[in-house]
Amino acid sequence: MNDFSVEANGLTKYFGDYKAVDHVSLAVPAGSIYGVLGPNGAGKTTSLRMTLGIIDPDEGSSRVFGARPQSVRHRIGYLPEERGLYPGMKAREAIAFMGALRGLEWAEGRRRAASFMTELGLERVIDEKIRKMSKGMAQMIQLIGSIVHAPDLIVLDEPFSGLDPVNQERLEMLVRRERDRGATILFSTHVMAHAERLCDRIAIIARSQRRFEGTVDEARALLPMQVRYTPREQQDPATVAANLPAGAELRGDGWHFAIEDRDVEPLLARITASGLGVTGLSISRPALHDAFVHIVRQVDAGFDADAAEDAAQEASA
Amino acid sequence: MTPFLQSMFVVARRDFLAIVATPTFLLFLLAPLFMVGMGLAGGMGASQLADSARGAGRIVVVADPADIAALRAADARLREGFAGSNAPPSLAFRIAGDATIDPVAITSEKGSDTYAVMSGPLENPRIVERNADGKSGRYLALLAGQVLRDRAAGEVAPVKPRFESIQRGGASIAVQQSLGFGAVFVIFLLTLLLAGQTVSSLAEEKGNKVIEILAAAVPLESVFLGKLLGFLGVAVLFIAFWIAMAFGGGVIAALLADPASLAAAGGTSEVATALASTPATGWAFFLGIGFIYFILSFLLLGAVFLGVGAQAATVREIQMLSLPITIFQVGMFSLSAAAASAPGSGLARFAQIFPFSSPLAMAARAATDDSKAVHLLALGWQAIWVALVIFLSVRLFRAGVLSSGSGWKFWRRTATSAAATAATAAEPH
Repeated sequence: MNDFSVEANGLTKYFGDYKAVDHVSLAVPAGSIYGVLGPNGAGKTTSLRMTLGIIDPDEGSSRVFGARPQSVRHRIGYLPEERGLYPGMKAREAIAFMGALRGLEWAEGRRRAASFMTELGLERVIDEKIRKMSKGMAQMIQLIGSIVHAPDLIVLDEPFSGLDPVNQERLEMLVRRERDRGATILFSTHVMAHAERLCDRIAIIARSQRRFEGTVDEARALLPMQVRYTPREQQDPATVAANLPAGAELRGDGWHFAIEDRDVEPLLARITASGLGVTGLSISRPALHDAFVHIVRQVDAGFDADAAEDAAQEASA
Repeated sequence: MTPFLQSMFVVARRDFLAIVATPTFLLFLLAPLFMVGMGLAGGMGASQLADSARGAGRIVVVADPADIAALRAADARLREGFAGSNAPPSLAFRIAGDATIDPVAITSEKGSDTYAVMSGPLENPRIVERNADGKSGRYLALLAGQVLRDRAAGEVAPVKPRFESIQRGGASIAVQQSLGFGAVFVIFLLTLLLAGQTVSSLAEEKGNKVIEILAAAVPLESVFLGKLLGFLGVAVLFIAFWIAMAFGGGVIAALLADPASLAAAGGTSEVATALASTPATGWAFFLGIGFIYFILSFLLLGAVFLGVGAQAATVREIQMLSLPITIFQVGMFSLSAAAASAPGSGLARFAQIFPFSSPLAMAARAATDDSKAVHLLALGWQAIWVALVIFLSVRLFRAGVLSSGSGWKFWRRTATSAAATAATAAEPH
């Protein structure tokens, strides 16, 4: 049995002269929830499309369940970024239709549609036409349509965008339940909170390239621990600063600075020994959001530096 | 059933129901009634205009009073030989001897069109006619000659003819050619009417973004064929409806009509003649093969419409792209119609071989040529072209619908495929 549901190697895509995706590789462990994160226009959607064989890569290849993605379409559920349903279809029929495309019997599709919709509190619109529904509701219908055939791999492109908080919560529940059923979930997003709560592993794509791959904790560990420290009152700031790591900054609610994991205990020892006292102390891991912003900024800075260098070379030439 | 066929039928079912299960389909189904109604209205108007024009026209003879009875009798006899619109205009007389009568002035009189005026002695008449070498002037000359011949021959016993009707005179070449032309026209009209609809369906899917779901779920080839199949279903329903209507109408008419009065009026004779003049291959084969040629013609044109239509992003672009295809198809109709009127000619052979006119021209051939084996050959040839057009259209469709950016290029794709194949082969297993 293959350990990875999806293995994409060196996917590259040009749109004209623009390199939208540059040698992106993904390895999604079977039965996991895997997030592809990145800012807008990073190349997430194009990467997912190539991974599923919807568009052909200019370079690289993709395997799903060890085979060409086109040959295992019936085992995949896909929610595209651009939502699309036939406006004249009733909700139940639309879901059954999407199931039928993947080989599910119409009658079974209708039965499952009703069951899913009831579970998600959408039973009142089962026989409502899509055109009469709100955008969020239609999105939930499409989501159900992409999983109605109980696929082994579910690929969701920006599934949370356009949903209200209640439906976002429902979607998270649905994703976890599908994972518990045994399905592998691969989804893209630029909202870190969802990824942080759901993902077993993530890949961060920025400027067309994969910049990080690992667990959420590994991503957060890219940044040092964040410390907020408040000494006893009436302490001389110069004395306090002398006992804290370089870069410590005094703000309204105390001193702020970053330290590596290994420096936590020596810091505590030093504060105790210095007699500065402790009124408040919080040591926390940075959020995934911080790690993401850090990575993306690093990439952008590298691009800006390259651009400046190119401009300088051009000027000197 | 294979997954490919299954997904094809799912797409076909959706498209079929999306069209048929709407109130507007009723309008579409009844469209021929509007067309026929408009045609009838136009035809009746034109016919009435022609009748009134004919009624307003006349020919005039300036004759001695002694000749008028003979001229009138000769005119009555001669008119028996003319039918319908070929009959000469009504004959009017002016009494000769009045010095004021000027034949040229008569042609200019208001109230009616005067096509010709005859004056002077019957042996050497002067005929003034509106158009040189017109039929009316020739008729007046014929009339004068007839009066003179009657006088020379004296009393002749009236002819008592015995008419016998040939119930089945075998296949008439002219009727068979008409049947061939009819087949070309019907197939062309239905194909054009229905194949063009596939493009709007595709525009709908591009507009509501469903196409990406389809492309992710099933092979594009099955989407493509499913669409063609769905619309073919609509076409078959359309044809079946009108065959049923025609059959039902025929039965009702037969039940309501009084056979005696119908026979007396000779109302069935033309239909009976047409039915008696069977197509060269027989009615059953002709209708069957005509239907198959319709399907092939529909698939060919529908695939072209879909492939080209996939390149369009807006309804306006679709209309612009559809226009050259429609013009091309009208060209194929003209070619096939010309071939139908000249069976066995080089033009006919060309039309039968050229892939896009072949279904039309071969349907026409089934009306005039009794060989049947050649149709198998033609069906195979057309099937190859259908497959080829579908293959190319799917490529266009893929490049156009998914906007994959790089655009589809045969050489590039071949190179990419070769590289991908090599990479796959080199992968460790």
